[in-house]
Amino acid sequence: MAENALPAATPPVSVSKQTDFCIGRFDAMASPCEILIETSDEQLARTITLLAATEAKRIEHKFSRYRPDSVVSNINTSEGRPIPVDPETHRLLAFAETCFQLSDGMFDITSGILRNAWKFDGSDNVPNVRQIKPLLSKIGWQHTRLSNSTFTLPEGMEIDLGGIGKEYAVDKVADTIKTGYRGISVVVNFGGDIQVTERRKHDQPWMIGIENPASAAAVTDTIVKIYQGGLATSGDARRYLLKHGKRYSHILNPFTGYPVISPPRSVTVAAENCTQAGLLATLAMLQGKHAAEFLAEQGLTHWIYN
Amino acid sequence: MQLSHKGSIAAALAGATCALLGQSQAHAETDSSVLKDWKFDTAILYYGETDRVSLAEGVVSATKTNSDDSIFNVKLVLDTLTGASANGAVAQPTVQTFSRPSGKDSYQVAAGDTPLDDTFHDTRVQVAASWMQPFADTWRGTAGFNVSREYDYMSLGVNGLLEKDLFQRNTTLSAGLSYQFDSIDPVGGKPTPLSSMMVPADDDYDDEFEGEDDDHGAKNGSDDKTTLDMLFGVTQVINRRMLMQFNYGLSIVDGYTTDPYKVLSVINTNGVTQDIVYENRPDSRTKHSFFWQTKYALDNGVVDVSYRYATDDWEIDSHTIDSRLRFNLSGNSYIQPHIRYYQQSAADFYQPYLNQSADLPMYASADYRVGEMTAYTVGLKYGRTLENGHEWAVRAEYYQQDPKNAGFEQPGVLADLDLYPSVKAVILQFNYHF
Repeated sequence: MAENALPAATPPVSVSKQTDFCIGRFDAMASPCEILIETSDEQLARTITLLAATEAKRIEHKFSRYRPDSVVSNINTSEGRPIPVDPETHRLLAFAETCFQLSDGMFDITSGILRNAWKFDGSDNVPNVRQIKPLLSKIGWQHTRLSNSTFTLPEGMEIDLGGIGKEYAVDKVADTIKTGYRGISVVVNFGGDIQVTERRKHDQPWMIGIENPASAAAVTDTIVKIYQGGLATSGDARRYLLKHGKRYSHILNPFTGYPVISPPRSVTVAAENCTQAGLLATLAMLQGKHAAEFLAEQGLTHWIYN
Repeated sequence: MQLSHKGSIAAALAGATCALLGQSQAHAETDSSVLKDWKFDTAILYYGETDRVSLAEGVVSATKTNSDDSIFNVKLVLDTLTGASANGAVAQPTVQTFSRPSGKDSYQVAAGDTPLDDTFHDTRVQVAASWMQPFADTWRGTAGFNVSREYDYMSLGVNGLLEKDLFQRNTTLSAGLSYQFDSIDPVGGKPTPLSSMMVPADDDYDDEFEGEDDDHGAKNGSDDKTTLDMLFGVTQVINRRMLMQFNYGLSIVDGYTTDPYKVLSVINTNGVTQDIVYENRPDSRTKHSFFWQTKYALDNGVVDVSYRYATDDWEIDSHTIDSRLRFNLSGNSYIQPHIRYYQQSAADFYQPYLNQSADLPMYASADYRVGEMTAYTVGLKYGRTLENGHEWAVRAEYYQQDPKNAGFEQPGVLADLDLYPSVKAVILQFNYHF
């Protein structure tokens, strides 16, 4: 097993023992994070949880748009100058570019600026056209430029990796654990975005509850059996606006600046890894009422709540 | 890289995420093929009845899970059976002599003892294979076959199962079909139903009885039967801890259901055996069974309770209650007590003996296995997971079968004899999974 050097300030984690596995818990990326570890050795579980928390915090610090010293803040305040990017950032931006192309522009990490008009707090504060129109000109990945070592973002535009950051962190954490602790099945679960490092012994599934937004108070979870791979959910369980009985989803169309029409309440997708699952769930939501059709075409295991 | 077909987005994303996570796709594939490798289950089992049959069995099962979650399983079972089995005749206050199945030898049973035929020794080889294929997101199809061979018996079967997940995969519907062809070639030939068992004379049976066989044709040839089974089931996830299952099964047997080695005693009014005749059973059997099972996960264990009710047109109704309670002693070991209770009513053609004065019935069997009985099993299993992830388990059980008198008289000399002796057995099993 690899000895992983932990930074001086270790993040607060807790570990508790269950029937045939341990659960490690911590908070990161504005989500409750759970690490399910198929071992009865609590000390080992603590080591793995600390490793997970440390990697999650590293990614959060590096890419959070709320931190003034993050790579994202650095790009957003570049005022149109080319910014040198490290290999990891380059990979994320290149991935965002691929997603933009695959979705014909519907998935766009520069569309976060619409947040200035839309506040999805469950209220009836639906913005008017005058608030939205000026923002549309500041959206469009095609205006950016990604070279081998630099990224150029036109002045006034912003990027937000919120749409892929958490899923990426889940996969990165899972990868780190898998490298150091082969032979132990671990589930990385950051607020419903999930990756299993490897199959459990005896091919037992992990049973994981995912929030069902269709049920009041979200007390009824859907129990998902997962053997390996990733799982991610896109939905508006709490993030929406309600005006004159009309529900406004937080899934915004970057071309119109308005929510996509009649998306499902939530979509959960299973795929090889969490990032892929997350993107497919988001792309499905962006299809609005055609979400189910889109998912069926992809031939992936999925759950839809309307 | 603009893609016009939505159908290829998942595939394109798979490549893009591999690049993002710094893995090459080839690497990801090798990884998963290592993870989803072959798994093996091996077991040896000993089953021993007091003074009767004992059986030793070895099982090797290999399972491969493929990258598309399809599963291939192949299983080999080898068992050897030795010992004695009740032949169906009633005990007598005097020594009795019976013909061995070959018809060329005889054995004697002491006064007061239940007649047991000690000729039994057989080796059975069984091979079974199946393939499970998931498709169209929420469907699974399984197809399999099995072949089994023993000295006087051969069995061939094919089976299929279709499963469909519904309601966010909390419900699974299943429908299965299997077809089995069994062929029996009894030692010494198939006896004529309800014909007399001829007992060879002590000295010169060789000459006499080989001739007799040919002349009278009391035993002749082989026979076969077919079994069609249908199964319909629903499995429902009740909540995070509880799972429930209901099954209905229909089984239709057509052909030779008689046990060619079982006989009945023909007695006079004083209970004294006058003749021994071979049994005869109907040439079809239709059985319905209803099964309910619930599994409940405790904080450190699992409760598993099931009940089965079966009824058939031989008038055998049975009830089975089975419960297992798993306690985890630690993260890597458990004990599991097991209790099973079984009860069945007698087949309508069951009778412990035939009356000399009565007309010969069309069907008759004195085989205790189609008579009224209760049976129970109590056992304990201990399992442990090793550091390398391999697991072993050992199981010890006690089994007792208590045949009951389904309202038949015991005239004359039979009054003081035990016509329904219990069968007691121990079961020992050792499993190793890797």
